[in-house]
Amino acid sequence: MAQKHYPRIYVVLFMLLLSLITPAKARAEMMLEVTTSGSNSATVEFSLQDLDAMDQVTFSTSTIWTDDKVTFSGVPLKALLTELNTDGTSIEMVALNDYKVTMPLAELENDAPIIATRMDGETMSVRDKGPYWVVFPYDQDPKYRAETIYTFSIWQLKHLKVVD
Amino acid sequence: MKPELNRYRLLVLAGICLLIILFATMVSNLLTQVRDLSSADEDNIQWSISQIDIEFANLDAVLTEQIAAQTGFSDQLQLRADIALSRLNVVNSGRAREIYGDSSEAAELIEKIEVFGDDAVAILDSSEPLDETDLLELKRLVRDVRPVVRELALLGVRIVAERSEDRRAELAGQLSRTGGIAIGLLILMALLLLFMDRLLQRSVRRDAALSASSKQLASTVAASLDAIVTSDSSGRIIEFNASAERVFGWTRNEIVGLTMEDTFIPQRMRDAHHNGMKRYLETGAPRVVDAGRVELAALRKSGEEFPVELNVTTTHDGDDTKFIAYIRDISERKINEQKLIDARDRAERTDKAKSQFMTVMSHEMRTPLNGILGVLDLLKTTPLNDQQARYTRIATSSSEVLLEHVNEALDITRIETGNLQLNSEVFDLTELMQALVELFEPLANEKNLAVKLNINPAMQGPYHGDSGRIHQVLTNLIGNAIKFTEDGEVTLHVSGIHGTETSSLRFEVIDTGIGIPAEQHEQVFEDFIALANSEGRQARGDGLGLSISRRIARAMGGDVSVKSVEGAGSVFILTLPLRRTEPETRDDSDNLAQNAKQAPTCNILIVEDNSINRSVLCDMLTSMGHTVREAVNGEDCLQKAKNEAFDIILMDISMPVMDGIEATERLRRSNGINARTHIVGLTAHGREEYRERSVAAGMDRFHTKPIRLEALQNIVAEVTSKHLSKPDTAHFPEALSEMIDLLGSAKVANIAEKFLSEIAEFTADLRVASDPLDTLAFAEAAHRVKGAASLLGQIELHDAFEKLELDARDGNLTATQIWAETLEAEAAKSKSVLDGAINRHANTP
Repeated sequence: MAQKHYPRIYVVLFMLLLSLITPAKARAEMMLEVTTSGSNSATVEFSLQDLDAMDQVTFSTSTIWTDDKVTFSGVPLKALLTELNTDGTSIEMVALNDYKVTMPLAELENDAPIIATRMDGETMSVRDKGPYWVVFPYDQDPKYRAETIYTFSIWQLKHLKVVD
Repeated sequence: MKPELNRYRLLVLAGICLLIILFATMVSNLLTQVRDLSSADEDNIQWSISQIDIEFANLDAVLTEQIAAQTGFSDQLQLRADIALSRLNVVNSGRAREIYGDSSEAAELIEKIEVFGDDAVAILDSSEPLDETDLLELKRLVRDVRPVVRELALLGVRIVAERSEDRRAELAGQLSRTGGIAIGLLILMALLLLFMDRLLQRSVRRDAALSASSKQLASTVAASLDAIVTSDSSGRIIEFNASAERVFGWTRNEIVGLTMEDTFIPQRMRDAHHNGMKRYLETGAPRVVDAGRVELAALRKSGEEFPVELNVTTTHDGDDTKFIAYIRDISERKINEQKLIDARDRAERTDKAKSQFMTVMSHEMRTPLNGILGVLDLLKTTPLNDQQARYTRIATSSSEVLLEHVNEALDITRIETGNLQLNSEVFDLTELMQALVELFEPLANEKNLAVKLNINPAMQGPYHGDSGRIHQVLTNLIGNAIKFTEDGEVTLHVSGIHGTETSSLRFEVIDTGIGIPAEQHEQVFEDFIALANSEGRQARGDGLGLSISRRIARAMGGDVSVKSVEGAGSVFILTLPLRRTEPETRDDSDNLAQNAKQAPTCNILIVEDNSINRSVLCDMLTSMGHTVREAVNGEDCLQKAKNEAFDIILMDISMPVMDGIEATERLRRSNGINARTHIVGLTAHGREEYRERSVAAGMDRFHTKPIRLEALQNIVAEVTSKHLSKPDTAHFPEALSEMIDLLGSAKVANIAEKFLSEIAEFTADLRVASDPLDTLAFAEAAHRVKGAASLLGQIELHDAFEKLELDARDGNLTATQIWAETLEAEAAKSKSVLDGAINRHANTP
């Protein structure tokens, strides 16, 4: 379903990314952009440090993308939105390659999903599906092994947008 | 019933178990399927794999653009390169590696991609800033690897498609398995339902049958004519049917809940009922219960007691015992029974009264007949002219016929009441037949008929039997033959066959008379049937004669039958089985006949209440030369017999004040002078009725009135002949040896001495006796000595003293000197005999 929108999204994101390109070999730190909803809509950027300053949730789980069990740690998405004091019906999530998926806010739980900043205690590079990865504790409950959950599990997260 | 039920329950349980197992299997199958369906790991992986190609395309595009723009290496390029490289990890790890795991083709492609990765990373991560050459190199690498990536992506799609095909097949299999189980489940459920339905049907049918049978039972109980009462073990009434309501007068509603004891069991039976029930419940030993029909009494509500027939059964309802009583009101039956008994008793009484009447009537008729015949007999002994003699004869024969009729009527009564008694005595056939011929000859001569007797010589000889009855039957047959024959002859023919002990005798009375039509042959034997002849007069049969004859013959084991041709004559046949005996010498009877004429003078006492009979008898005996005394009843007889010794007492049996039986008993017990006198019983009643009683009382013989002159002569002759017969006393008379055996020779010697001294005293008295003689004293003394002589078996002496006694009583005692000498001579003879006997016995141990 997300695939249908891909060509248009791709063009938009491509233009956006072009403007951000800096001709430097050293990789700039990736920021997580969050756009709140409502009349006073604003975009807030979170750095890794910002995220680390928040309450962390850690869990171990296997995933369909990794070989063994891995330990993820990061900030619960719900906690992040609460921090921003924003309200809406769903959240639009966009990856570095402009992959986009919309998740109803009702799906959010206190501890799942989290915006993982570390896998097995290490930060994740872009080559390693980093730096931010939305993950669920898949082993905890069969409901987390559903197709929608897998589509919500977005790698290389770049932007979050709360939609009314 | 029970095992069947258990089988059904087992079947249902097994079905349910099977259902549960099937259901569990199905659920677990379904769960597995749900899990398989809900996990969509591979769809996502497929997406990821397909995306790899796009990321490389993007990288290629960015590279081409940068080279063309000659902007050099940019962050944009770096990001795109990193993203593309990050996708290489995707095929190398997690579920993707699993998908490609078994494919060598994939392994080859992945290796190429890894080589590209290493080369790309080497370029990208070089410390030097990337120049155009690097970019071109990178572009070449990307161009080279893109077909590989594309191929890998396509391979991934294919493999995943295959895998999902397998999965779907597996799922389909699992689904059809589940479906199969579900179908099985449904079939089983259907079967169980069918089975349940059948059971339901059955139970419905059974219910219906049960209810029908219980209705039937209820209607049976309700319609029963017997009262049916059901009680529990404590006697409390549970059921009470309509008949019970009618019989007892209680309604069902009133009595149910009360006890039998308090309601319909009579007061006097309550204890017995209570104990009986208690005993039955404790021991199970039945008395009334299960004992079949018992007759008891019960109480109606009104308090009236009535007889019932009761049948009690028990049923066991679980632990509770129920009593079911079937009660029939038999009061009606009892009343009817009583009525029947009364009716029978009345009939018996009437019958008895009739017999009594007949007996009394015949007695009453015979008593005057006795007088008539007696007087006629006496009249014949007086001088009569011819006419008088004829009248006398006619009167005699008419009286005889009348007597015969009376006797017949009595016989019928006796036969009907079963009192016919037959006497078995020895008789001579020839004699019997000759007497009959002699009896009927005068009658036959009157009609100019010949009477012939023809006895088969082989059949002669004495027989045992009731000659009187045979005589009676033949008299009847011969009488009839003469009566119904106008000319010709009457023949008596006796033939027969000898058996081992008995002989079958055949007496034929053949006449040449009018005969009897064949259809009337049996009628002549019926009671009071007389066949009318052409003149309307009484013909064959005297009313009773033939029927009596036949009955008597049958009572003796024989029969009377008839063969006849009308107009040619009749043959009446008497057949009889008779026991044979050895022929006796006929000398005795000759002597008897002679003795009858020369009977010595006897002293006879007549005891009779009827004065005519008494005087007739008295005249008869006196004419025969006997001395006669008269007494009017038993008491008078005892009085007269006290002081005077008699040779014969003729004793009437029924008399006022004291009858003949009692008088005889007293006389026999008295030890008086007449204790051993010959007593002849006389009665107008039937011969048999008093025979036993009179014999028991001690009478020597018995005679039915009227007693005729000839019979009287014979009796006296017989009695006197016994006295006159002289057994041989020269040897040892029986009486003497018996006495010696009994008392011992010493005692008998004493008695003999006393006896002889008494005789000596007597003769001494005789010698010194002077006129006028004290004859009575001599008679008494002679009587005493006579008794002692008889006791010691001295017959000569006994007879001598008897003669002397008689003479003395008659007042004819003369020639006392001669008497004394005779007696002394006899005494001497006796002494030697006595001494001999005593000595002989004394010498033998």
